[in-house]
Amino acid sequence: MSRLVRVRAIAQKEVFHILRDPQILIFALGMPVALILLFGYAVSFDVEHIPLAVVDQDHSAESRALVAAFTAQDLFELVATREEPASVEPLLQRNVARAALIIPEGYARDVHRGQMATAQLLLDGADNMSAAIALGYANSIALSQSLGRARVQLGSFEMPVEARVRTLFNPRLQSSVVLVPGLMVIVLVLVAVMLTALTVAREYERGSMEQLFATPVGRIEIILGKLAPYFVLGLVQVLLVLTTGVVLFDVPVNGSLALLFLIASLFLLAMLMQGLVISVVTRNQMVASQVAAISTLLPAMLLSGFVFPIDNMPPVLQGLAHVLPAKYFVDGLRGVLLRGNGLDVVWPDLVAMGLFFVVMLVVSTKRFQRRVA
Amino acid sequence: MRGRRQKGAEALAPDPDAPAIAAERLTRAFGDNVAVDGLSFTVAPGELYGLVGPDGAGKTTTLRMVTGLVGPDSGAARVRGLSAESTAAVVRESIGYMPQQYSLYGDLSVDENLTFFARLFGLPKAEARERTAQLLEITRLSRFGDRRADALSGGMYKKLALACALLHRPPVLVLDEPSNGVDPVSRRELWDLLHHFVHGGMAVLLATPYMDEAARCDRVGLLHRGKLLAEGPPEQLIRGFHHATLMLHCDDRAAVEGAIEARPELLALSPHGADLRIVVPRAAVGTFTDLGRRGPARFTVSEVSPDFEDVYLGLLADAEAA
Ligand SMILES: Nc1ncnc2c1ncn2[C@@H]1O[C@H](COP(=O)(O)OP(=O)(O)OP(=O)(O)O)[C@@H](O)[C@H]1O
Ligand SMILES: [Mg+2]
Repeated sequence: MSRLVRVRAIAQKEVFHILRDPQILIFALGMPVALILLFGYAVSFDVEHIPLAVVDQDHSAESRALVAAFTAQDLFELVATREEPASVEPLLQRNVARAALIIPEGYARDVHRGQMATAQLLLDGADNMSAAIALGYANSIALSQSLGRARVQLGSFEMPVEARVRTLFNPRLQSSVVLVPGLMVIVLVLVAVMLTALTVAREYERGSMEQLFATPVGRIEIILGKLAPYFVLGLVQVLLVLTTGVVLFDVPVNGSLALLFLIASLFLLAMLMQGLVISVVTRNQMVASQVAAISTLLPAMLLSGFVFPIDNMPPVLQGLAHVLPAKYFVDGLRGVLLRGNGLDVVWPDLVAMGLFFVVMLVVSTKRFQRRVA
Repeated sequence: MRGRRQKGAEALAPDPDAPAIAAERLTRAFGDNVAVDGLSFTVAPGELYGLVGPDGAGKTTTLRMVTGLVGPDSGAARVRGLSAESTAAVVRESIGYMPQQYSLYGDLSVDENLTFFARLFGLPKAEARERTAQLLEITRLSRFGDRRADALSGGMYKKLALACALLHRPPVLVLDEPSNGVDPVSRRELWDLLHHFVHGGMAVLLATPYMDEAARCDRVGLLHRGKLLAEGPPEQLIRGFHHATLMLHCDDRAAVEGAIEARPELLALSPHGADLRIVVPRAAVGTFTDLGRRGPARFTVSEVSPDFEDVYLGLLADAEAA
């Protein structure tokens, strides 16, 4: 009974701190919206209208068909035609074109003879994201062209196989849809870890921790009371990011909202504990905020699978990604949002985050002693 | 928490006959630096005990061991017979503690700070309200209930901190440099408050680097490098002082100061108007009288009765020389 009173006293005090420091609220609620607008509108990962230069040395119906296939959709946009392969390189260098399709003489002949017909696609690898997508697209065009030829040669019967590129769950490959879970992870780690690390370190730095320890309040009560307001704040952020995503960017919510909030809650708890560990170890706001930034933002951006696929990373980073909860959160969230996954699919993500939470809880209670020296 | 479950042999109720505070050969080092070194003292109920010592003497570390905030390497601190370490939870209930550092919440108002600590001490609402009002009244902070703590003057802040430490009516009060940063008027007020509570039977242990404050304690312990140099009521320490306090009446104070300040017998020296006040071993009184007569800088000597500061400086110089 008196325990509950004390937890509530601490929580209420924390709410006072939050409400009286406008920076905290701006940071916690303004930043998510700013980030999602920025990423959603400005920093689009969508690949469209890649400027394409074409060198058609074959001048055949087949070569023109290939060019048409490339420019049929919005991905490539024809900006220049040249006669010599050597003359496209300057275009690429000056960024007039980002891709060049070179069809050598003899392309039509090879196609008709049933030999391997080659056309060359030059891609600007500096923008690896676009390059990867363009490459995949080019491959699918090549495949469909070959199959098209096969049909011509085999006569009039129907094709057993039809090449059709279809992206599941995110048909228009819209990056904003993939972005929302990614942004959620950034927003949550920033606020949950950073703010808790700061608020607990502040109690040490200002000496109020010494005063608290001299009262009958227990350690668990301090932890619960101090973290509860940030837990609520984190859930508000989830709601905010989700609503913005749904309203502005048509992010689908295919799975259950309850499950979504369960995943978010578990991730939040893990992050709050990480913040607590940082603050009881450093006991200093400056150091705590730096450790918090480094230990959360980098994993959230780089190791969550939000921007870069984890499978392509060196083993050490892959290992790290599998220990930290960010990856599981993004995994679970995308699963529920885009694929409509249920508990039967996302439970391993929940377990992984739960494990991290427990480890952090143990470490923090070990380090959080009622001693000032 | 731990204490409550541990050690069935240890009594868990405070012992009314035990001293309010007992330090038993308390020792604590930080690395190679021995902050408190075999320190023993007791404070009785209704007694105001002052730990006096220069910066780094170990005052704060001692008070923290008494409040269970720092663990001793050896020895024990007992509060009303209970170990401050193994029965920390029970001990906390009977101690009011005011740390040296500012430790209330600056962004909370006076009322909010008081309410917060009242809830931590588990006071029922009505009782909390009554005591808060009463403490605000006697600390004369009633008019400032809405003011943020960081907007209070140094003296008002300390009175608020004192009020927060007194909310649960602790029988034992531990204060670390309570009048640090407080103007003389507020300091007097603070001391009047302390005497008021001590008369009511409260045991007060306070640390201070100020001699005038030390002189107002019932008993003082002179702390130096973690050890007690002397202990007793201030008047008794003054009476038992074995060195001499001399007043040097000079024509040119600066010249006299220059002539004597390197002398090995000199234990303490402070300007006193046109005169110089010095503490020297009794055996050296003749030397200084001669020195004044012969020059180079001339002065006449008269012996005066020592005050507490002379005692403190003299004993400290002895200890440094040893
Ligand atoms: N947490 C700590 N870590 C390391 N050393 C410490 C710690 N606390 C105190 N000390 C050292 O122990 C010695 C005694 O310090 P303490 O704070 O107890 O002295 P004090 O008498 O309260 O001094 P002051 O008047 O400056 O408050 C000092 O040398 C100090 O540097
Ligand atoms: Mg101190």
